[in-house]
Amino acid sequence: MKKKLCFTIVITVILIFVPNSQAAADSPYTTWAYGPNGALVLTQDAYSPYAEIDLSIKSAEDMFITPEGEIYIADTGNSRIVEVNQEFKIVASYGEDFLQGPSGVFVDKNGNIYVADSKKNAIIIMDKDGNLIKELGRPVEPLFGKSREFLPRKIVVDARENLYIISEGSVDGVVQMNTNGNFIGYFAANTAEMSLRMVLQRTFLTEEQLAQFIRNEAASPSNLAIDNQGMLYTVTAGTLPQKSIRKFNIAGINIFPEIIGSNNFRDIDVSDNGLVVAVDADGHIFEYDITGVLLFQFGAKDTSGNQRMGTLTNPTAISRHQDYLYVLDKDKNAIVVYSTTAFAQTVHAGTRLYMEGFYEEAKPYFEEVLDYNGLFITSYKAIADAYFKEENYAKALEYYRYAEDRNGYSQAYWEMRNVVLQNYLGTALMSILGLSILRSGVDRLNRRYKWFDPIVAWFKDLTRFKLIDDFVFMFRFIGKPADSFYYIKKDKRGSLLFAVLMFIWIAVVRVLSLYWTGFVFNPYASPSDIRIENEILMVFGIIALWITANYLVSTISDGEGRVKDVVIGTAYSLFPYALFALPIALLSRVLTFNEAFVYSFSQTIMYAWMILMLFIMVMEIHNYFLSDTLRNVLITLFAMALFVLTGYILSVLFGQLFDFISAIIQELGLRG
Amino acid sequence: MDKLKRFTQGFIIICLVFSLFGGVFGVSAQGDNPSANQFTQMDSINTDWVIDQTIPESYQKTAENDTYLLYVDHTTLGFKVVDKRSGYVWHSTLDEKSVEDKLNKSWEAFAKSGISINYLDSKAASKRISITNAEHELTVTPIDMGVDCKLTFTDFGISLSMILKLEPDGVSIEVPFESIQETNPEFRLAVLHLYPFFGATRGGSVPGYMFIPDGAGSLIRFADTTKARNILYYRYYGQDLGMIGRVPWDPFVNPPYVISLPVIGMVHGYKQNAFITVIEKGASYAEIQAHPGGILTNFNFIYNAFIYNQSYFQPTNRAGAGVTTIQQKPNQFDVKMQYRFLTQDESDYVGMAKNYQRYLLEKGVLKKPDRSNKNNIGIRLEFLGAEKEKVLLWTRSISVTTVNQMEAILEDLQIYNPEVIYYGWQPLGASSMPPQALKIDSSLGSLEDLLTLSSNITESGGNLYLYYDPQAAIVGEGGYSKRYDLAMAITIVELFGYHRGKPNNYLNIDALSSNYSSLTQDVWNYETIGLALDEIGYNLYSDFKSGNFFNRESAIQRYREIIAENNDSLAFYSPNAYMFDFMNAYFDMPVSNSGYIYTTDMVPFLQIVLAGYIPFYGKALNFSSDMKMDLLKHVDFGVYPSYFLTHEPTARFLKTNSNWIYTSGYEQWEEEVKATYSWMNALLAPVIGEEIVARDVLQPGVVATTYANGKQVLVNYTNQTVQIEGTTVNALDAALREVLP
Repeated sequence: MKKKLCFTIVITVILIFVPNSQAAADSPYTTWAYGPNGALVLTQDAYSPYAEIDLSIKSAEDMFITPEGEIYIADTGNSRIVEVNQEFKIVASYGEDFLQGPSGVFVDKNGNIYVADSKKNAIIIMDKDGNLIKELGRPVEPLFGKSREFLPRKIVVDARENLYIISEGSVDGVVQMNTNGNFIGYFAANTAEMSLRMVLQRTFLTEEQLAQFIRNEAASPSNLAIDNQGMLYTVTAGTLPQKSIRKFNIAGINIFPEIIGSNNFRDIDVSDNGLVVAVDADGHIFEYDITGVLLFQFGAKDTSGNQRMGTLTNPTAISRHQDYLYVLDKDKNAIVVYSTTAFAQTVHAGTRLYMEGFYEEAKPYFEEVLDYNGLFITSYKAIADAYFKEENYAKALEYYRYAEDRNGYSQAYWEMRNVVLQNYLGTALMSILGLSILRSGVDRLNRRYKWFDPIVAWFKDLTRFKLIDDFVFMFRFIGKPADSFYYIKKDKRGSLLFAVLMFIWIAVVRVLSLYWTGFVFNPYASPSDIRIENEILMVFGIIALWITANYLVSTISDGEGRVKDVVIGTAYSLFPYALFALPIALLSRVLTFNEAFVYSFSQTIMYAWMILMLFIMVMEIHNYFLSDTLRNVLITLFAMALFVLTGYILSVLFGQLFDFISAIIQELGLRG
Repeated sequence: MDKLKRFTQGFIIICLVFSLFGGVFGVSAQGDNPSANQFTQMDSINTDWVIDQTIPESYQKTAENDTYLLYVDHTTLGFKVVDKRSGYVWHSTLDEKSVEDKLNKSWEAFAKSGISINYLDSKAASKRISITNAEHELTVTPIDMGVDCKLTFTDFGISLSMILKLEPDGVSIEVPFESIQETNPEFRLAVLHLYPFFGATRGGSVPGYMFIPDGAGSLIRFADTTKARNILYYRYYGQDLGMIGRVPWDPFVNPPYVISLPVIGMVHGYKQNAFITVIEKGASYAEIQAHPGGILTNFNFIYNAFIYNQSYFQPTNRAGAGVTTIQQKPNQFDVKMQYRFLTQDESDYVGMAKNYQRYLLEKGVLKKPDRSNKNNIGIRLEFLGAEKEKVLLWTRSISVTTVNQMEAILEDLQIYNPEVIYYGWQPLGASSMPPQALKIDSSLGSLEDLLTLSSNITESGGNLYLYYDPQAAIVGEGGYSKRYDLAMAITIVELFGYHRGKPNNYLNIDALSSNYSSLTQDVWNYETIGLALDEIGYNLYSDFKSGNFFNRESAIQRYREIIAENNDSLAFYSPNAYMFDFMNAYFDMPVSNSGYIYTTDMVPFLQIVLAGYIPFYGKALNFSSDMKMDLLKHVDFGVYPSYFLTHEPTARFLKTNSNWIYTSGYEQWEEEVKATYSWMNALLAPVIGEEIVARDVLQPGVVATTYANGKQVLVNYTNQTVQIEGTTVNALDAALREVLP
């Protein structure tokens, strides 16, 4: 019954949302969606260009569209606000008498028009007929800041008539005022970014030198929007693209995640159906859902003067109204209109349902989206969530894998494992108990009758082969490391051949562990991302560097070890990795995030053990005291870093030399 | 449960409200729909206009035949043609300017002279001069049916000669290359403007339009104002990579269509008078220059300009510094243009297209097709065979659709006459260079399987083509020599571009020729396999490698020779007109244009030219964002459908170059393909092999296309059902009916 109702709803909705748009030109832009590995992938157009409406405006800087579809434009060049209706005719113009350079406009639900005037540096409030109600200038409260300027550029108003104003260059954030002109506070400031370079600069440079640099201040937000729940969104140009859009809660904390964004956003708009859309100076339009996941990116600039419909020259504002996007273009003096395609409507419908938690109702939409484009990652996640809710964990697992969602995968896997454990745990425990009883029985019998003695003797005999002996020698390090290193030094056990084999095995283990680590813990989403050559080179490189550096450093500081000792010693020190890395990787395949501690702890122990072994090796092979060992190891590490740096410099130099020579040869070839 | 019920009720109400809004928007937007320029507007016969028909004294009667009279002015080289069928006089230059014409001296001279040129001085700056405002010497010698004119611009040492003749179908103009001389090394001939003001009209005084072969075709109706901001330039056959080196590639931009037909035209009064200009020789160095009234002058004019010398930026060091310099030698090509005139019923874009079609038939480019037993329309199914991805330390091929899988899909589809294209058949798949002999990737199956499949397909009326791009030298692949086989630009860099997700250099003519011959000779041994040629049909570049120089015009000749030697079964992707005589099918037929905002109509000119002679298939419908509208346009223009299909879903080849095929899995598309094919077949099967004879817009959004056998396809783009003389056409649907011829 529920399913049938859903089905009819779905059909109704799909039929109703058949687009009425007439435009079906080839768009001048391509559209990209969020794909695997966080890369953008091509997709069908989400919006197609619908119209370009020329208006008698000049250098317009802002636009606001009311829920009824009235378009208000801040006609900056003509010092007025114009109102445009849905037939794209100018029906009214306001404020010619008292506006000078309106650059921001907002209309509240009563029709009052709020204008940020950039020439007067004031906020002007008009009623719906354009009569002046109030003009607000620079706030006088001391909290505002003595030397801070008031340069209002953009404005939004919330339901309780709080004004949020972008003041140009304000590093303290958005200016919050009330309609009486009182300054309430700063809100939604950006954070300044600290980088390693800056830390180093501050440590080493003097005051005068530091004063030469541009102060590391937070970029000031460039535009803002408000949604129907009163949450404020800002866009900031000139900051990291990942942090260019921020959403602030009441406490002023940014709750938007890192996004795929742009570093020169111009405007943002949030609509009632939970879609965030932003336009940047390069003519690109970005659409996100309410949680900051990128849905689409498209748009192109009209660089060659081609005048193809849908290109932008200098976009300054964007707004959505029903199924259309409106972009105000300052240089074209026009509004470019885009209409939503059937594809995007499916995505939006599915996203809307998903955001409200109706996963199962959203699933058919996302399955349709996958028909349109099999790389639309958000669909896989939504479908996986739906399967999870339906308790179809096997399917959920498969889809979480496609969606590269490790969290979801971990949870679904937990559920599946739970089932297996519940079914088979009892049997497993019984069989382990049985086996151990059997084993102790066999042991006791063996002690009595010595049945296995010939086999054990045969094994012992094998150790006459040097390699086998070396292999067995490795296990001695578990209990008696210092002693065993001494044996190496005295040439009693261990061989170079085994050391080389050990190194090769380490490289193999490294590669295999990357392949065999479970998806939940694997840094790579898919095996084809792994760069085998890089891994192998890195393993051999680090080992070679260590051996070389250590030997050289030790030679200078009275170490007794020969090269052979260092090589063999290093090989044996790495045994924890050689023995345990693969089993840990295999173990990770059956673990979930709940047991992440087990995985990371075992890895930590393995690496710590390895480092301890190396430490002991240095101490024993070179016959150092503890403090000398410490010093030797630190200097070795430093020497390794120097080697790398020198190698890098040399490679750059040689690269340039090579380029130079090959350019000459090319020139000779062409001109000769 | 209750909450769900309440939610769904509310949801349905909201949906209905939205649809009401949407519906209102849709209907009201019919009248002054801002995106009307993506469709054809209604035309009505309007004779309420007049254009000056006097022929001034300075014009001498030069020639006459059954249909036309030719008058030539020996001082300005202007000519007039009188169409005896209607008495209409066509002017090639402006005789008298009036006060409202905002023409300054330079423009006045440009309008009054038959020939104008742009020259380049030693600083590579370009200036325009015309006959009437520059010192010149002009000798006009009468010849049979015309005149031979020798013109020298004495101040600049540039001379050329032009032959103007009256032909049975109109007027022809020739400018042979030997006649071009640049005697003064300071000045070079940059652009030759031939009769720019031919057929020019003032503002909206004459109801009519100009035609540009952009995509399917665009019209710009005459009006007093225009949305265009500057003169419109369109280079025939696309930009010359040889002059620019690399295509400025922006992944966010969808490039405009290449001008593939060397035809422009104008209509003076719907169903009254029209002409087209066909370039027979020299189109590869010609450029359409169009000027709707209101940009710089109030005249509407469109003409062909010919480019002889260009300046370009030669970088001299890696930092990017360099000089702007002029090409050493002028582009070597002859100019031959024909004005062909239409009158009465032929005077609309349909008549223009039919006239050009007649021209192609006369030249033997289009041949009367074999009308045998084709009862069902074709469909293009392109399969991705194999691709390669990096695994461990080597690359391995991933098989996406093996031969057997392809066979299974085709059997399941039960479609007749499929044009099957196998993309990525070569060893290691689509991102590697094709071999010199026919072998397919081992993971796809055996060659015998492929041959069996191809003969099965051919027997059922279809064709199997292997995808082949003769020009591409894929970067980073073996199979060609980087030193000897690549074409170079004038700036001595290798030509570079992107196609189908792969970065390419381009092969020079010799390498292309030898690869092509060796592969085709092997392929034609197996009679049932054809080749689908990509890029070579529309990508035309000159090669500036020293010792191997090839300009575009001679490249056309050479390509045609190469292909003529081996052309048993060839199909092309979006070919230009010079490949029309070799193609058995046209793939990637555009159903729209490049979307310029100043055009007023979109018309199926290209389709009307080819309908009845060559089957054409549109772009893959997998990538359509508005399937309904695209399918209606297919039916409207007579374009057959295309799909990309693979056995494996996209996720399988995500990490390869072919991930631009973002949806193609057969499981997903099976139903869609079958439904589309049966719908379209019902509508278009009765008109297979028929020429289009008329196309009318009956009311806004309702179009009727009439075929030679009396059948008419009605397409309804609106949201309401319409009744056309007893035939009901549902909203967003199409219907077929009989009309009396």
